[in-house]
Amino acid sequence: MKPFNSPSGDFGLSISDLNFKYQQKQVLKGLNWAIRSGEQWVLTGASGSGKSTLAKIIAGSTKGFDGHIELNFKAHTPAKATALYVESWYQFKNLEGVANFYYQQRYTSLQAKDTLTVNAELGAFGRLHNLSVLALDELLSQLGFSELKDSQLIELSSGEHKKLQLVKALWLKPQLLIIDQPYTGLDAASRKNLNQLLDEVTQAGVHLILITNDDELPTCINKIAKLHDGVMEELSSFESSSALPKHYQKTIPSFLQQPPSYTSDLIARMENVSVSYGDKEVLKNINWEVRAGEKWLLKGPNGSGKSTLLSLINGDHPQSYANTLYLFGQKRGSGESIWDIKEHIGLISPEFHWYFDANATVWESIASGLYDSVGLFKQLPYSKSIQVDELVAYFDLSDDKNEFLHTLPLGKQRLVLLARTIIKNPELLILDEPCQGLDQQQTNYFNALVDELCGNGMTLIYVGHQESALPNCLEQKIELENGSVKIIESIKNKDRLSTLVE
Amino acid sequence: MSNYFNTLSLREKLNQLGVCEFMDNHEFLDGVNALKGKKLVIVGCGAQGLNQGLNLRDSGLDVSYTLRKEAIEGKRDSWKNATENNFKVGTYEELIPSADVVINLTPDKQHTSVIKAIMPLMKEGATLSYSHGFNIVEEGMQIRKDLTVIMVAPKCPGSEVRAEYVRGFGVPTLIAVHPENDPQGKGLAQAKAYAVATGAHRAGVLLSSFVAEVKSDLMGEQTILCGLLQTGSILSFDKMMEKGIDAGYAAKLVQYGVEVITEALKHGGITAMMDRLSNPAKIKAFEISEELKQIMRPLFQKHQDDIMSGEFSKTMMEDWANGDKNLLKWRAETGETAFEKTPAGDVKIGEQEYFDNYTLMVAFIRSGVELAFETMVEAGIKPESAYYESLHETPLIANTIARKKLFEMNRVISDTAEYGCYLFDQACKPLLADFMKKVDTDLVGKNFNEGKDGTVDNKTLIAVNEAIRTHQVEKVGAVLRKAMTAMKAIKTA
Repeated sequence: MKPFNSPSGDFGLSISDLNFKYQQKQVLKGLNWAIRSGEQWVLTGASGSGKSTLAKIIAGSTKGFDGHIELNFKAHTPAKATALYVESWYQFKNLEGVANFYYQQRYTSLQAKDTLTVNAELGAFGRLHNLSVLALDELLSQLGFSELKDSQLIELSSGEHKKLQLVKALWLKPQLLIIDQPYTGLDAASRKNLNQLLDEVTQAGVHLILITNDDELPTCINKIAKLHDGVMEELSSFESSSALPKHYQKTIPSFLQQPPSYTSDLIARMENVSVSYGDKEVLKNINWEVRAGEKWLLKGPNGSGKSTLLSLINGDHPQSYANTLYLFGQKRGSGESIWDIKEHIGLISPEFHWYFDANATVWESIASGLYDSVGLFKQLPYSKSIQVDELVAYFDLSDDKNEFLHTLPLGKQRLVLLARTIIKNPELLILDEPCQGLDQQQTNYFNALVDELCGNGMTLIYVGHQESALPNCLEQKIELENGSVKIIESIKNKDRLSTLVE
Repeated sequence: MSNYFNTLSLREKLNQLGVCEFMDNHEFLDGVNALKGKKLVIVGCGAQGLNQGLNLRDSGLDVSYTLRKEAIEGKRDSWKNATENNFKVGTYEELIPSADVVINLTPDKQHTSVIKAIMPLMKEGATLSYSHGFNIVEEGMQIRKDLTVIMVAPKCPGSEVRAEYVRGFGVPTLIAVHPENDPQGKGLAQAKAYAVATGAHRAGVLLSSFVAEVKSDLMGEQTILCGLLQTGSILSFDKMMEKGIDAGYAAKLVQYGVEVITEALKHGGITAMMDRLSNPAKIKAFEISEELKQIMRPLFQKHQDDIMSGEFSKTMMEDWANGDKNLLKWRAETGETAFEKTPAGDVKIGEQEYFDNYTLMVAFIRSGVELAFETMVEAGIKPESAYYESLHETPLIANTIARKKLFEMNRVISDTAEYGCYLFDQACKPLLADFMKKVDTDLVGKNFNEGKDGTVDNKTLIAVNEAIRTHQVEKVGAVLRKAMTAMKAIKTA
């Protein structure tokens, strides 16, 4: 691909007969696509259909394809003559240049800082691209990011990392901006802000390709396409979800049909729980009790303290030792180990996925849930390995079971880690935005499974920003705001579920 | 205080040097019970102190920190590290008297003053734990006879100790009980429980002795681990400059080459590393590494002799007393080398290219690993210890060179390792002067196989393979690597 400025030319992208193979599999099959000046696209398609691959090819970061791509930039326009691909996966490194992080790391306080601050990261980006600092301050306040300027990268939550990526892209204003999963992890208010900002930058000459299955889109979007079976198909309207998948009819493995065996009726109790880093208070006087078999929705805007609250329950937070906290009937800090706690819990969160062992295979990743380890370090007894096989089959992952997790598309990786959360039929399921990166079909499929497991008596704490991604079984909700409990109430009428989400 | 090792009879010297046993899983069935309900007080809260403490507490143990009064009053970083993670912090006077186990995780150089301050405060029959034996063995610190003295030494930086623990794994760790201080016979049980509480039992625990740990650790770090990697890197870079290889390329090849080459070592020992070369290159690398071994053997022996006799630690401690005059001077000199000052170029070097264009480093590493191993074993150290302190740790040090070159490598390793590294480097460079005159760019900077047709003599190749594969370091290594439940890459990016 050779981007060039045609003297009289306008912006335009033309792709013809594009073919691409990844590990023997033909991903793109003679794909044709054209984007003309003024067109703003949304690109949909099932997980693994090749959307991210196509985006990387257009942006020039993936080579080794056959076919013809021509990208023309406009000469006199405020937007930069470049194409930027914003990955759904944000990788950063520590000051020594390695990314050997673990998901609990941001809860530990350490004076010797080893990642950059948001400010330093943005400063380096701005210098690299010669960007104005004034424009940055405005963007930061528009996305509600100003307060995080002095935070370390390792301290940011998944939603905050997403915002940081978006800040960079909107600051740069490239003529072609491709954003992979722009909304994942963002709360409702941030999604609205983002759409407004996207509308604004298109006025300045930015052309968008948004890769998403979300239907709450900026108004500037005027074209919709679906990548299916290696070719592009233009749609007349947004196709929100396809028919329910056939997997839905499958019966769940028998070992998951048993109610979990509870050791105590009390799952978690917090008495005036507070967490702070230096002067910064993250949780303030939380009082909350979860009993066996209850199904909770945990909600609140980005940065309201949801993940920190969950980390206390999962034994991941060093400050739980100074709080009055009971887990599975036992007072925290009374001689139990974190492994004694984790044994009762199946957990997934965006951070957990980020920092998961990239060198584990699909099968090993699922099996590691039996030992609560990140990666598998033990030999499984035969009876357990049979259960892993059953779950692999149930999730249609048999063909991928020996693949390394990180080689799969993100949606599929997520499905693998979801299988990991339930492999031991835990007493408590903690699902923190479990369906991030899944397409609508996979989300429905997974939520139906959650409903079924919870019907058997499993306890649930669920975090989700999007109403289309909530299971039906939720009965109670706790809402956080700025680290405090805003409301605790029961969800009496299931029909009210749609109003639960801002 | 006099050197502990030198006070021993020859029989007892050999006896203590020869302790080394890879501990089987069943040794750890009692979990953390031997320390359950005991008061553990950690002295110092830097990277090793904080991360070990977090692991011990997360394993259900009672952990608090004691710091010097000035650190508490000045709210220093160590105080913040401990309090912000909700640990109890107090002065020596406040916490030591009630402690069942006092864990000394201060830097080596402070050990004498720290132990002198805390020992009188310790209660009758308590336990004192170290993570390095230098203070006991080389400085000859005498510990009160009622106290139990143990060592638990994770073979990784503190951040890794924590990262691997929360993943549900651990890092290889060495444990020991000081034979002069085990009045109740509880030392081993406590050391094992401590190892379990840091996750070490999942990654491999080696039962050692204070003496074996110190003498092998010093030997490994100053010869193959830091010393030869430094000498080899500098000589390789200078040779490429002399022969007109692009400076950016040369700097990148040297900075990252050791890491890529030793990655093969980590997975399959010298055999795997040599197998990454073409047959002609392998034979050549074998021949020159044999030559290197011959040239360097007396130097390796001198280092081992000075370590055994206490000469090395004596001169180093004189430099400590002298405000680190030599150390700081040598450190500054390392920072001024051409390699250190040339930034790695923006060129892509493929993984295989690092082997093909840097055959000289493969030869350096084979000769250094085998020499260090052989010299240690000849001196009475067990092959298992010698393996850990030579081959096993080489990739870990190579990682730090890849991250930030030599100056930084020397800054992050212990002062003891750094001091020994400079001593070795200064003696080794002149020793290799004639050898380096013969070296050309086919061994460093350009592809060795270029312009060759790949033909080798069957008999020669078979003999070379045989010599590589049957070396004792390979036999011991194969067993130990298999015993470590999972061979994990330390870094993930």
